[in-house]
Amino acid sequence: MFHCEVVDVKTNQITIEKAQKFIESQKCGASLYFLGTVRDHNNDKTVTGITYDAHDSMVKKSFKEIYEDAIQKLKLDHPAAFVEHAKGYVPLGGISVIIAVACKHRAQVYEFSRFIIEEIKKKTPIWKKEHYQGEETAWLEGKQIQVKN
Amino acid sequence: MKIKVELFGVCREFSDKDFIDLEFDKNIQIKDIRNEMIKFVENKFPENKNYLEMVKKSAFSSKDEIVEDEFMLNNNQTVSIIPPIGGG
Repeated sequence: MFHCEVVDVKTNQITIEKAQKFIESQKCGASLYFLGTVRDHNNDKTVTGITYDAHDSMVKKSFKEIYEDAIQKLKLDHPAAFVEHAKGYVPLGGISVIIAVACKHRAQVYEFSRFIIEEIKKKTPIWKKEHYQGEETAWLEGKQIQVKN
Repeated sequence: MKIKVELFGVCREFSDKDFIDLEFDKNIQIKDIRNEMIKFVENKFPENKNYLEMVKKSAFSSKDEIVEDEFMLNNNQTVSIIPPIGGG
């Protein structure tokens, strides 16, 4: 069971309640909620917010592939995952990403959640522009996508 | 032939629009788009070595798939430039 979305924060918001409603199941004995949030410093600079950019259709495709990859590699029992990532300006403390997962047993949800976030960092076309005190901004240096030849 | 390049991440700084239109007088591959984007950045932002580096490090996608440098393009095709990523 899987849900993913790129959430335009101008018109919508990421909430734990939506995720909880999606993943709850009597077949699962464990649920885990991971939230990525905007912190107040990076590289010795005071951060006031982050603008997230995303290639929406590729992001959703990537999330689905990561989910399917996790199912195959981790051999999960009754897996459910709810993944949403913000697009647009997220202020300090705001939620940038939610990964809510559920499985039959607790060990699997830790692995499942960690797998998803680490793969997102490596494969999903999302970019961050940090906003600092005093109007300065900077796009963060990211990870180069490897092209399969 | 005309190609539309959709801009993402740091490459959005290249234009006020979400894309750049490029024109070619021959059949082209992705590597021709990259070379044209390099020329574009060198002309428009001669002082900004970071932009140049980002284009060199970028991947390109067509129809939501990352494509290699030898990928052939058709007239009026849209591609996306995918600079180094970093979500979460």
